[in-house]
Amino acid sequence: MRSFSARIRSAFTAAGHPLDEDVVEELAQHAESAYESSRAEGHGDAEANLAVETLIRGWVADPSALRRQVRRAPAVVPPAASRGFAAGSLADATYAWRLLRSRPGHGVVTILTIALGVGAVTTLFSVANGVLLRPLPWASGDGLVQIVESRGGREGRVPGTVMNGTFLAWSESPQTIEGLAAWRAGTVTLTGAGDATRVPVTSVTPAMFDLLRAQPIRGRTFAAGEGRQGQPGVAILSHGMWQRQFGSREDIVGQSIALDGASYTVVGIMPAGFVFPTGETQLWLPTELPPVDGPGGVKRGTIIRAIARLKPGVTTAQAAAEGTARATTAPDAGPVGMALFGAASPIQIAVTDVNEAATAEVRPAIIILLIASVLLFASAIGNVANMQVARATVRQRELTIRAALGAGIGRLSRQLLIENTLIGVSGAVLGLGLTIALHRVLPSILPAGFPRADAIAIDGRVLIVAVVLSVIASLAAGVLPMLFARRLDLARAMSEGSLGSAGAGRGRLATARLLIAGSQVAVTSVLIIGGMLLTRSFMATMTADRGYDPTNVLTATVPFPGGYSFERRQQARARIVARLKSRPGITHAAFSTGVPLMSAGGYTSFTLRSPFGSGEVQAESIRRLVTPDYFGALGVRIRAGRPIAGTDVAGSATAVVVNRSFVRKYLDDVPIERAIGASLGSHAVSGTAYSGDATVVGVTDDLRQDAIDAPDQPEMFVALAQMTEASQQGASSIVVVRTAGDPAAYVETLRTVMREEDPGIALDAVMSMDQRVGQSVSRPKVYAVLLAGFALAALLIAGAGLYGVLSHGVAQRSRELAVRSALGASRPAVVAVALKQVSIAMILGVATGIALSMALASNLAPFLYGVPAGDWISFAAGPAFLLAAGVLACAAPARRVAQTDPIQVLREGG
Amino acid sequence: MGMTSLERELKRGSAELLILALLEEQERHGYQIGQLIAERSDGAITFHATSLYPTLYRLEHKGLIEGRWVEKPGTRRRRYYRLTPGGRGVLAKQRSVWETFSAALTRVAGVRHA
Repeated sequence: MRSFSARIRSAFTAAGHPLDEDVVEELAQHAESAYESSRAEGHGDAEANLAVETLIRGWVADPSALRRQVRRAPAVVPPAASRGFAAGSLADATYAWRLLRSRPGHGVVTILTIALGVGAVTTLFSVANGVLLRPLPWASGDGLVQIVESRGGREGRVPGTVMNGTFLAWSESPQTIEGLAAWRAGTVTLTGAGDATRVPVTSVTPAMFDLLRAQPIRGRTFAAGEGRQGQPGVAILSHGMWQRQFGSREDIVGQSIALDGASYTVVGIMPAGFVFPTGETQLWLPTELPPVDGPGGVKRGTIIRAIARLKPGVTTAQAAAEGTARATTAPDAGPVGMALFGAASPIQIAVTDVNEAATAEVRPAIIILLIASVLLFASAIGNVANMQVARATVRQRELTIRAALGAGIGRLSRQLLIENTLIGVSGAVLGLGLTIALHRVLPSILPAGFPRADAIAIDGRVLIVAVVLSVIASLAAGVLPMLFARRLDLARAMSEGSLGSAGAGRGRLATARLLIAGSQVAVTSVLIIGGMLLTRSFMATMTADRGYDPTNVLTATVPFPGGYSFERRQQARARIVARLKSRPGITHAAFSTGVPLMSAGGYTSFTLRSPFGSGEVQAESIRRLVTPDYFGALGVRIRAGRPIAGTDVAGSATAVVVNRSFVRKYLDDVPIERAIGASLGSHAVSGTAYSGDATVVGVTDDLRQDAIDAPDQPEMFVALAQMTEASQQGASSIVVVRTAGDPAAYVETLRTVMREEDPGIALDAVMSMDQRVGQSVSRPKVYAVLLAGFALAALLIAGAGLYGVLSHGVAQRSRELAVRSALGASRPAVVAVALKQVSIAMILGVATGIALSMALASNLAPFLYGVPAGDWISFAAGPAFLLAAGVLACAAPARRVAQTDPIQVLREGG
Repeated sequence: MGMTSLERELKRGSAELLILALLEEQERHGYQIGQLIAERSDGAITFHATSLYPTLYRLEHKGLIEGRWVEKPGTRRRRYYRLTPGGRGVLAKQRSVWETFSAALTRVAGVRHA
């Protein structure tokens, strides 16, 4: 092979027509094949060689035909300089479009990069806009405020509520507000209009509609006094409910409908656009808050959400001051207040704008994500600027020649600006398309109960943001190349040749490009560290021990029809449990008044004389009424003693199972075994048929009731069978079933069993415990997924940026590197030289990113569970991952340097 | 040899057509192309290896084919040629021209089957 190449080369050189090495290699291969086939046909070496010689002589005869001419892309002719501004701009735009099309790869990458950045920002902005900036649909006019009560700094068991005493005290001739109204969401069973269905309702105090300044389209709103015990039931329909359930019948006003087995008269229909408090509510029922002092000295406490309208000119602070003062005049609710707030006093009333209050929970997260998306956008724009500079240096000759031929710097700048505007606008349009596409899937991504999710839309403000972003993108992409155009040096560009020169990779522009790449790395570090923190935190919430086993547990609320007597209810529960247990695959079944992660559930407060002699404490605890199999069904671990048993029935001694927190807090933190048999006194469990002391029979681990990071709460379990009729009034009935496999497969079984008992039972909130857990962590999940997504996009962008800077730098410095190589530098040494600047930029970027993250991480702290804000794993693994990606991005250009033949470079460049 | 200019043009045109046709099926290297032309035309058209590479380079310059170095495991790298979309179009057009031409030739020159 070598000999054939040598023969061909020397033959052509002798003829005065040296050939390209490519051609020599190709011809040599042909010659070799010819030689081999000649030998294969049985010819001798001399004969075969002769054939090759003839072949070569034939080639040498017409050497010019063997000159390969590399095909170039057809040149795009720049527009003439002598035109008016408008015509010139149009010509520039056409030229820019042709240039884009002549190198579609470059254009596509640039536009996609911008689209990614614009899409991220506009999507997040549309969420922020809908959730944080757009007013609530019902907050018409100014001055609607939310009233929240706290006692000793603690909000009620349901946060964001006030107690009846405070509400009633302030309602009497208030000074700073026009009026107060309260509301509470719930569900009822609608019967008599097709199948029994569960309907989301909102109970409101009669003044609510006036306070909202809302008018019905048919009938009237509620009148004062409606909703009071003993008054006839009335209801107002939503427009949707009126259309769907009642076929828009005009005569529905005045008719009665059956809710939870009771009769209600429809008194009004609200207009189509009316929403309160969310679009879910299908009908409104009146309610009245009971006074704290009930008949017979009974203290009645209830907590409810309340809003008010400020009088003109009144500030929220003034209203809060009045509310706080008024609350102290309310009758003392005693232990009930204790049970609801966990503290008796001092009462503090907070008054917040309703829009602000509705979104307070998600605001910090949205702002953080918005900032993250802006960082991503900045990084994307950095890439575009870098790519455009690379493009401009490649086009140096074109620009220089045009400048030399009389195109002014202004003209060339305009040209570059128009080019980049074209790119910027295309990217923004595509980014907006991305946002529109994301909006299609947004409802399924956003966590359940995300406030104001229905207000997220692409409106004028979102469009304005998209336009502003496209302008920023165009400018950012155009400014650096424009600066470059201003520094054009004709003589240098021409003398140094189109392949660039040793010096072109250096200088201010090169520094700017390195700076951009370094900043991208820094931004990416921040996003990656943040993404890792949130992701690790989310994983921690998923794997954390909740004190029970949520796998394979099915739960549902069982709303027994209104007419059920106490006895019938008890019998129905027993029959349902027995039927469920007889079904294959169901291992445990029980009823309870509450399960974790469900807002239903009772609280109790009582004076406890310590059985271990430390005196009296005011105990407050969650109280669950359960049937015996509850612990098995939910997988609650009994750590000492026994669970509630079938022998704990009406009349027998009251048995109580408590959790570790209860022992720690109220039983002098004795070893749990010692707590067994302890007497809690006769007041601990009110409403049992037994008059003696309640006794602790078992101790369980603590159960996480709501959020995984909420503090442990004392909890008591009492047998449902020991409670009297009165004590069970109003409590939910929740069925808890442990299944052998996927609980979803048992939903139908559960429904069948209920139908067998009574077709009038419409199950509510049928969910597996895993689903409840999933729902409770859906926000952290979305935050983690979004931030991790941004981090990934930033990683891609930074990787592309580093690759671009390095490969362009290497191409620019090819002569310098070749000279070093020719002067004896080893390959690794040359590669090291090529990588030096980028490596420094990368390391400085990562260091800056880590420093920035350390400063910023405290803002993430409220979103973190089980992971400290300074989590070293995130801080180490994130940047390590980034550096690995950086090395990967640099690998290809570095390899190119290592494989380049210096002689070739010098010959071509010379 | 004393080729007339018509003969030369015919031969040149047919050589280009042949190469394009051969590359339509799959990509091939120069030696393969030469061998195949000889084989498929039963030796009727042997065009010397001398003109093979100039023809390939001309077609490449016209953008009808493109060559690239391919390194296959176990063998040394070879330059393979393949048809570009432009080449595909030209091939289709040349084919129909050639068919019309040969049909006309048959009619006018009275070349008939026995």
